Amino acid sequence: MLFWFIATVITAIACAALFYAAGRRAVNLSDPDLDDANSHFRLVLAGIDTDLAAGKLGEAEAQAARGELAREILRLKAEAGRVAGNSLDFGRPALLAGLGGIAVLALGLYGLLGSPNTPSQPLAGRAEVAAQSIDLDAAITRIEAQLTANPDDLRGWTVIAPAYLELRRYADAARAYRRIIELSAPTPDLQTSLAEALMLDAGDAGSPEAMALLREAAAADPAHALSRLYIAAELTRAEQYAEAAQAWQAALALSEGDEPWLAAAQQGLAVAQNGGVAPANDAEAEMIGQMVSGLAERLAAGGGSVEEWTQLVRAYLVLGDADSAQGAYDDAVAAYPQAFDRGELDTLALGAGLTLNGAQP
Amino acid sequence: MSIELGHFALILAFAIAVVSTVGGYTFWRSGQRIALVLSQGAVLQFVLVAVAFAALIQAFIASDFSLLLAASNSHSLKPLIFKISGVWGNHEGSMVLWIFILVAFGAMVAAFGRRLPGDLLALVLATQSLLTAAFAGFTLFTSNPFARLIPAPIEGNDLNPVLQDIGLAIHPPLLYAGYVGFSICFSFAIAALISGRIDQAWARWVRPWAMLSWTFLTLGIAMGSYWAYYELGWGGWWFWDPVENASFMPWLAGTALLHSALVMEKRNALKIWTIFLSIITFSLSLLGTFLVRSGILTSVHTFASDPTRGLVILALLALVIGGAFFLFAMRASTLRQGGLFAPVSREGALIINNLFLATAVGAVLVGTLYPLLLDALVGTSISVGAPFFNLTFGALMAPLLLVLPFGPLLAWKRADVVGAAQRLIGAAALAIFCTILISALGGVSISLAPLGLLLGFWVAFGAFAELVERSRIGRMPLGESIRRLVGLPRTVWSTALAHFGMGVTVLGIVATTAWETELVTTLNPGETAELSGYTIDFDSFGQQPGPNYMADEARFTITAPGGSTRQTLADRRTYVATGMPTTEAAIETYGFSQLYLQLGEPLNDTHVVRIWHKPYITLIWFGAILMALAGVISLTDRRVRVGAPRRAAKLASEPA
Repeated sequence: MLFWFIATVITAIACAALFYAAGRRAVNLSDPDLDDANSHFRLVLAGIDTDLAAGKLGEAEAQAARGELAREILRLKAEAGRVAGNSLDFGRPALLAGLGGIAVLALGLYGLLGSPNTPSQPLAGRAEVAAQSIDLDAAITRIEAQLTANPDDLRGWTVIAPAYLELRRYADAARAYRRIIELSAPTPDLQTSLAEALMLDAGDAGSPEAMALLREAAAADPAHALSRLYIAAELTRAEQYAEAAQAWQAALALSEGDEPWLAAAQQGLAVAQNGGVAPANDAEAEMIGQMVSGLAERLAAGGGSVEEWTQLVRAYLVLGDADSAQGAYDDAVAAYPQAFDRGELDTLALGAGLTLNGAQP
Repeated sequence: MSIELGHFALILAFAIAVVSTVGGYTFWRSGQRIALVLSQGAVLQFVLVAVAFAALIQAFIASDFSLLLAASNSHSLKPLIFKISGVWGNHEGSMVLWIFILVAFGAMVAAFGRRLPGDLLALVLATQSLLTAAFAGFTLFTSNPFARLIPAPIEGNDLNPVLQDIGLAIHPPLLYAGYVGFSICFSFAIAALISGRIDQAWARWVRPWAMLSWTFLTLGIAMGSYWAYYELGWGGWWFWDPVENASFMPWLAGTALLHSALVMEKRNALKIWTIFLSIITFSLSLLGTFLVRSGILTSVHTFASDPTRGLVILALLALVIGGAFFLFAMRASTLRQGGLFAPVSREGALIINNLFLATAVGAVLVGTLYPLLLDALVGTSISVGAPFFNLTFGALMAPLLLVLPFGPLLAWKRADVVGAAQRLIGAAALAIFCTILISALGGVSISLAPLGLLLGFWVAFGAFAELVERSRIGRMPLGESIRRLVGLPRTVWSTALAHFGMGVTVLGIVATTAWETELVTTLNPGETAELSGYTIDFDSFGQQPGPNYMADEARFTITAPGGSTRQTLADRRTYVATGMPTTEAAIETYGFSQLYLQLGEPLNDTHVVRIWHKPYITLIWFGAILMALAGVISLTDRRVRVGAPRRAAKLASEPA
């Protein structure tokens, strides 16, 4: 409602300004047309004298210019007399119709396009932002202080343990999970979480304690998939591929077919069965090969954009075929001799150790 | 509520513009009274659009993402200056900027135009209102900047990183001021054609507007060129990109318009030329808007492709340009011939100037539109590249530059070429001497470069011939000469400076094109490259977070041939919100030359670095700034001011 009030007031002010402009009589401008034209012609006349003095006009030409000016003035005076009687003024009805038109058009159009009831929402004033800006570090410090005072607060440890993991403070996370297990009872989930924290803390070194915890969890619950996945992954990392394959199969046996970890587990099994190397997918490799050779043939036959050449060179590099990549790069340079055109291609090729015009920079 | 009030202000301005158009064209014959109403209307439009524009800026600064435009183009972490400039870094906002400048010029006409005849002023303001109504209508109905987004997202999409630069705060407003300023000349032309008032006084009113717009356009194009040069990271300063051409064509036509209007004002000749150029210049501005805003062209300027918008702009274009040429065709036959002149005269020289510039516009227009038309009609995609433009445009400009110094020395009506040539002997000798000197020092090679240099020096030195002539330096005591020099009308100085600036730009183009050197190499920190006597040490490489991006920074030490060293920094930035990368080249200026370093993608523990040495490249933009300065000087000449003819008359009648 407030908006419509303000909008109406603004419209009224604008219309009033126009109304009074129409009512103002041009008292000080008795005959502005003639006045201004005269001053203009005086200027031109003075200009002729100036140009004559500066040698920009010859004597005869200056005379001719004055003649032309005189004729122009006579012509304009005659014309002004003719036009004067041909005046069409607008009356008050026309003016009011115009002002009414403005008001109707503006308010109506806004009603159509605008959303008067939608408030502004500057970021600083929004509740979500206030909620988001709670400082995680400050919250943790507060909980830590509470836990120092009361180390048996199970709920405090339960809140802080995943937060530590989130902040990558793995040693602290492990300490928190240990405390939770002490205060409650060891469950497979808690043991797996503790093992996760221990393994992350140990990095690539591996953790026998974590492994023991995971095996304990798996033994306690025959349907616990997460602990089995961690066991399989840890065995794969430790390059015990035969045992790893068994572990992956054990985890996969628990699958119902729609788990998010399914693809990763299948890949892990394939890696373990293949002795630690990801097996190449023959059909896929063949398809890539066909696409690359197709692109190469097309570019060799009819040329192409610099982006297509870049794609070809990159494909050869990915396939590990440096000679073909160099050949394609040479052809591309021949097709686009200006370095300016080749931006990304040069970056790719030179970065991969290819040579430009036979010389490595 | 400020957003909605801004929205309403824009709609009210649109409504006032619509009614002003209808009222103005209906009642223009009533003269002074309708002119007063329309003047008030023009001021109101300006105030209202300013309010709308301010509301948008306020929403961007406050990161109010309930405004769709802010959500799509802003980000709460963006530095303040880019929050503000981001308002027009998109299609909708840039249209509001366009309209804002349009109504600002309209309000200026209303403010300074009190001495204009009432019917002419009414028609000018009605035509301005027509343009405002057309563009505001287009903006409101097809690309409303005030569209809301509920529920509002918590964060915006950020602005195209290439546009997050001080250039966006400067280039579009300047360029638009140039583009849109020519709308005043257009409106004056339409008013003249409708009222039949096509006389010398008309040219006097139009010329300051043409000069002002031309000055803005010159600066806008130069700024755009320099921005592309340092931001896009290719080291090129002009690409003959269709969008650049779109701004360059109005400049060429506007340059011709300036010269024509001068003749019309002083000698009452070249009327058809002046009217025609007034229409064509603004039409080319509109064409540029169409090309850029319709999404026909894909470039950094194309914010969104929407076929509807393209069609609407095309319809507007057809209406405005078609209507103007229809009027022109109706009236052209009744135009009276004014001052008579011999073929060899100042007037004749300016016709040659117009012919060359108009032909150049034609060449650029063909090169720009031909591929688009071919693509639209036949479906074949071709690209008309720099070679076409360099050849055609260069071939047209060389003869024009060759005769340029003669122009200001020729007398009106009937001139003496031999006499003018005699007065240019000094400039010619100086140009030849400088060219030979530079060629000798730099080693002679068979190329066009020395000829280009000769042309540049000829234009630059020739520009001063008139000053030398009129101050009689060498033929009078020095004090007397200086007194004469100071007493010369500012337009004489302005002409000399503008033509000198042209010569300077030519010199910069020739030197850069002929002697630029380039090196693409891979470097690791600690390694060194060399180019044109400069030694570049790659000192270190590291990562540095910015306010809304992560930067890979490479630090270099450059040792100049003279032995001085400078530290510099080249960046590759990846913007958080969009993931888009930009390169920030390291540019070091030595005298008028620049060394340009660009950091490529890091690959296999090494970095591709591109290094250019660009001799005298800054002269290109320096020349443009001199030209714009000449425009400003000319505007300060009392004689062009509409409001002060009496005092000017007194000044002009003093002996020169």
